[in-house]
Amino acid sequence: MNIIITGLITGSMLALLAISFSLIFGVARIVNIAHTAFYMVAAYCIFSLTGKFGLNPVAGMMIAVVVVTVLGLLAYKFLIDPIREHEAAVLIATIALAMIFQEAVMLIFTGDYRTVSALIEGYFIVTGVKVFYQQVLTFGVVLVILGILWVLLMKTKLGLAIRSTAEDREVANLMGMNDSRLAMITMGISVALAGFTGAVLAPLTVLSPYMWMEPLIMMMAVVVLGGLGSIKGSFVAAYILGFTEALVVFMIPKGAFLKGSVALSIMILVLLLRPEGLFGISFEEER
Amino acid sequence: MLLEIAHLTVRYEKAVLINDLNLYVDTGELVSLVGPNGAGKSTTLRAISGLVAWEREIKRRSAGSEIVLEGTVTFNGERIDQIPAHEIVQRGLVLCPERRRPFREMTVLENLLAGAYLQKDRQKCRETLDKVYDLFPLLRHRSHQIAGTLSGGEQQMLAIGRAFMSDPKLLCIDEPSTGLAPLIRQEVFEKISEISRLGITILLVEQEVSVIFKMASRNYVLSSGKILAQGTGQQLLADEVLRKTYLGL
Ligand SMILES: Nc1ncnc2c1ncn2[C@@H]1O[C@H](COP(=O)(O)OP(=O)(O)OP(=O)(O)O)[C@@H](O)[C@H]1O
Ligand SMILES: [Mg+2]
Repeated sequence: MNIIITGLITGSMLALLAISFSLIFGVARIVNIAHTAFYMVAAYCIFSLTGKFGLNPVAGMMIAVVVVTVLGLLAYKFLIDPIREHEAAVLIATIALAMIFQEAVMLIFTGDYRTVSALIEGYFIVTGVKVFYQQVLTFGVVLVILGILWVLLMKTKLGLAIRSTAEDREVANLMGMNDSRLAMITMGISVALAGFTGAVLAPLTVLSPYMWMEPLIMMMAVVVLGGLGSIKGSFVAAYILGFTEALVVFMIPKGAFLKGSVALSIMILVLLLRPEGLFGISFEEER
Repeated sequence: MLLEIAHLTVRYEKAVLINDLNLYVDTGELVSLVGPNGAGKSTTLRAISGLVAWEREIKRRSAGSEIVLEGTVTFNGERIDQIPAHEIVQRGLVLCPERRRPFREMTVLENLLAGAYLQKDRQKCRETLDKVYDLFPLLRHRSHQIAGTLSGGEQQMLAIGRAFMSDPKLLCIDEPSTGLAPLIRQEVFEKISEISRLGITILLVEQEVSVIFKMASRNYVLSSGKILAQGTGQQLLADEVLRKTYLGL
């Protein structure tokens, strides 16, 4: 039971992170290493807004997401956009950005571990296992956001433009889609989702300036397993990895320290056996 | 004149792809642009639809090879050579690109709706969609099929249908018959004639000279980035040298 709950929550969180990461990669070929650093910033935002300023947690969440989105758009405009066509440079710039966030958080909040109080306290017991209301809430909210994202991508004009640009940027231009503008919008959505993940997860985790690294590796593993650029792939792979991680942690005594290595092993295996991932498209057709 | 290209030159680094090209298309015409492989036919269409300028911007940002684009393109009385690709469509110059390039992961209907991206008026969009479905009944039957699973001929119909959804005044089509079986080719040409009869001006790039010369009101022969000759099919075919050397007939 614990495995299922942890697996579901980790899986959903990874799904949100991996899908939002894939989104901006697909549209603008931006590999945003700082993606999970935005997630960290959101968590710390909540921590200071609710803890220090005594704000209502929901309001804190909203503000955190807005702050992170604005930060993301600024970073895009002034750091990423000028070098957007240079894939290696973008990689390095976003690593630097993640480091900057990490050091900034370190300076402001010190390296001490922090916690954010749950939105709703308490738990109920199913088959002898404690299920915290906060866990259920986080899971539910993440599902709702995934649903909204699906509707946005599949049912709206903006979603159509985002998918078209991701598939063939040149042809998308021929239909009147402005790829620069769409890259900017997608960056906003992508970072907002990262921030949102940080916000809903904050009460369930321990905050530290290094908290972006582990989910980054897990997220990369999900993206590799699911196939770069495939949203369906990211979704399925996220739950596979979420459950694998939960299994390792609960089945192997003191298995928690193995979490990262499982993700890395899966990533290496997939790269060796099936480089295009579960649902990925091979890149042969690209020019 | 609906389209007028004057002194168009396109260079990639040192390579001259288009060299001082002049070409015009009048409203209602079906004009063909033919020539051997690598003549610069696609580059011409890409230049007028803004893709060369778009690519130049990307190359400039990535410090890649340099692209030079000179000359003027006038469409409907307005200079469009300085306008970004995504705004040129809005003015009614639409390109159906080489190798069809449907959005392979999306459904037929989604592809068509992508073509109508700039159409704000839902009612008008529906009407155009109906027109496309009347023109290509198979697209109506396949509307929920994933585009990547269509046959080559069907993908070509989809690509033309998608371009039609952009409400073109001038429809540029790049090699629609390449790689298709003879019967399907014929069908594609019939559809293009039909679109022409609807009053839409067409600039067509093709390899199938014998068929095209019968359809087009005027033709341009392009080789190594230069216009070698222009005229009606009959006029061009009367030139022995041209016929043997450049048209392969
Ligand atoms: N991106 C590019 N960089 C450099 N040279 C290019 C590029 N694209 C095309 N060329 C060259 O420019 C020339 C003209 O190409 P273009 O595609 O316009 O010819 P085409 O007439 O359409 O030929 P085809 O019948 O094969 O489609 C060719 O020699 C091609 O090799
Ligand atoms: Mg060509």
